[in-house]
Amino acid sequence: MRRALALVALLALVAPAAAFAHASVLETKPSYRQRLDKPPRTVWVRFDQGVKALQNSIVVVSSEGRVVSGTTRGGADPRMIVTTLKTLPKGAYTVRWHALSSDGHTVSGVWTFGVGVAAPPPTEAYGASGPTRTEHVVRWAYFLALALLVGGLGFRLLIVRGPLPPRAELRFYKLTGLGVVAVLEVGIVAFLLRAEDALQLPFTRLLYGDLSPIASGTRFGTAFIAMTLGFALVAALLFLSWLLEKRALLWVAFAVALGFASGLSLSGHSAADAGSSWKSELADWVHLSAACLWLGGLVQLALVVWPLAPELRREAFLRYARLAPVLIAALVAAGIYLSILRLPQVSDLWNAGYGRVLLVKLALVSVALAWGGLHHTLARPLVERGQPVVGKLSRSLLGEASVGMAVLLAAAVLVDSKPPPQAVPQPAQAVTVPPSSRP
Amino acid sequence: MQPPAEHVHWMFATGFLLLALFLLAEVIAGEAVWRKRTWRTYLWPSFLFLMGVLMWPVMTFFTNSTIHMVAHGAWAQVMMLAGAAELGLVKGKLRNELWRLAMPLAFVVSGLAFLLHEQNPWLFQRSSFLHHLLGWTMLLGAVFPLTRALRPRWAFANAGIALVFVVVAVALFADRDLAPVFGHLSPLAGEPHR
Repeated sequence: MRRALALVALLALVAPAAAFAHASVLETKPSYRQRLDKPPRTVWVRFDQGVKALQNSIVVVSSEGRVVSGTTRGGADPRMIVTTLKTLPKGAYTVRWHALSSDGHTVSGVWTFGVGVAAPPPTEAYGASGPTRTEHVVRWAYFLALALLVGGLGFRLLIVRGPLPPRAELRFYKLTGLGVVAVLEVGIVAFLLRAEDALQLPFTRLLYGDLSPIASGTRFGTAFIAMTLGFALVAALLFLSWLLEKRALLWVAFAVALGFASGLSLSGHSAADAGSSWKSELADWVHLSAACLWLGGLVQLALVVWPLAPELRREAFLRYARLAPVLIAALVAAGIYLSILRLPQVSDLWNAGYGRVLLVKLALVSVALAWGGLHHTLARPLVERGQPVVGKLSRSLLGEASVGMAVLLAAAVLVDSKPPPQAVPQPAQAVTVPPSSRP
Repeated sequence: MQPPAEHVHWMFATGFLLLALFLLAEVIAGEAVWRKRTWRTYLWPSFLFLMGVLMWPVMTFFTNSTIHMVAHGAWAQVMMLAGAAELGLVKGKLRNELWRLAMPLAFVVSGLAFLLHEQNPWLFQRSSFLHHLLGWTMLLGAVFPLTRALRPRWAFANAGIALVFVVVAVALFADRDLAPVFGHLSPLAGEPHR
């Protein structure tokens, strides 16, 4: 009975919801990303409290940027704002709205709809400028954090399986803890930057911007929700593993982290672009996971084992040297598959912006591979024989990790770039059979 | 699919009431008696940590404005941090007493988040009043965990923290989406929810 009561109390805390303080959108017409067969005559937004309609509270623009809406007015219901539309031709449309909330705040938002065509996600609304340099850096930070977390956990569980000296164990937890906190924080920043771009608002107005179309109407938003929840769980598991000294919890954290890292693959080019399939999503996830394990493992080797667990250096280095080729093979195979998929022609490598970034990434990967190859062919035999290569090898491992980080920067730019368009296969011409020849 | 906001406030109010109950039980029974069972020492810190974890779904599903999303994220993080620091200290994994400052930090950050995400005056409507009340209660109430950080075994500090949690719980239980406060509701706020 007591257990049941405790369970009920816990479950009562689980269900989430929104909280209201200023005007929030209850309903829109057309709805978010709705595909309409007939052009609408009006566009309206209904809030949970009274709002003041301004002259241009609702602006509807076509995909070419032509304004197709008239003057906005308040509805019969003081909680509504309405605008009339010209007769809309087939196409995608962006609705940008702002209203003076009764509490004095300007609330804003954006959504899209389509007439006879599918509506684009709000992140591709008219006026959104696409990923900026800041977003590249934020995505890079996200990749680094993910590598620190996933690679750190993988290293601890697959490479150094036994107990670590207390100081090394603590540093392992600090590094992976830093990774998971950074994944959560950087994830929030990335989401807000993307929303800022879609909403096209200055920061002060972004504070009251309606993010729900981006959170619920895009793959990016769904991935943000799922990954934030997943990595919050990983943070809790990592902490409990440290607190209770339960190694089994690290396995759970590792599995959850690897699983939720797939959110990037399920929301990026491999899931959304032409030619995407479950194979491309899987390849993307393998590519990302292998890169994280490789880079995060290098960091753990250089910053945890080498300085704080000298007795484990030889064993850890040799085990890592055995695992690294497997990771590299998976990384390269998945990368080649994805490159072929996204670049229909070899000339796209130098003609398209995406291809040029890919070339830079490939050059950096080559440097990293050559560096790793040197470790494999030169350093490994020395370590096996117990030769004193300690100091130089530590610095060299950090050097290889630095190149890996540069690869991730190129990957971040690549993810934010648009691949060249795929050639659309021409549909077979329908053969018109003259009525006279029909049976 | 999502329950009304007020229901979620009540759920967390239940959580804060339980937290207060655990702290008060320790004060009333005395530390020596309370800690005869090891699990009791972990009870309120682990419950606080759990509440922090459970705040994440609220943060992610609550995206109808940036400022509310960020505020809920801040609460999730400081609750987890404060709970984790207390657990680490109780377990003996953390030895530096400065970790006790995580609790007053959580109070201050939570209070500021309440005040910053509410831009209306006190008597605009009930949730505005409650946000101001909660913000100032947490900010001023931070003196109790701060005192506890300096004198960990002083029962008065634990009782003070419990009292703050009771006020927080009452305020959250009193929340409605849109409702008058002391019979007053700004005509700008719209129709009362019920």
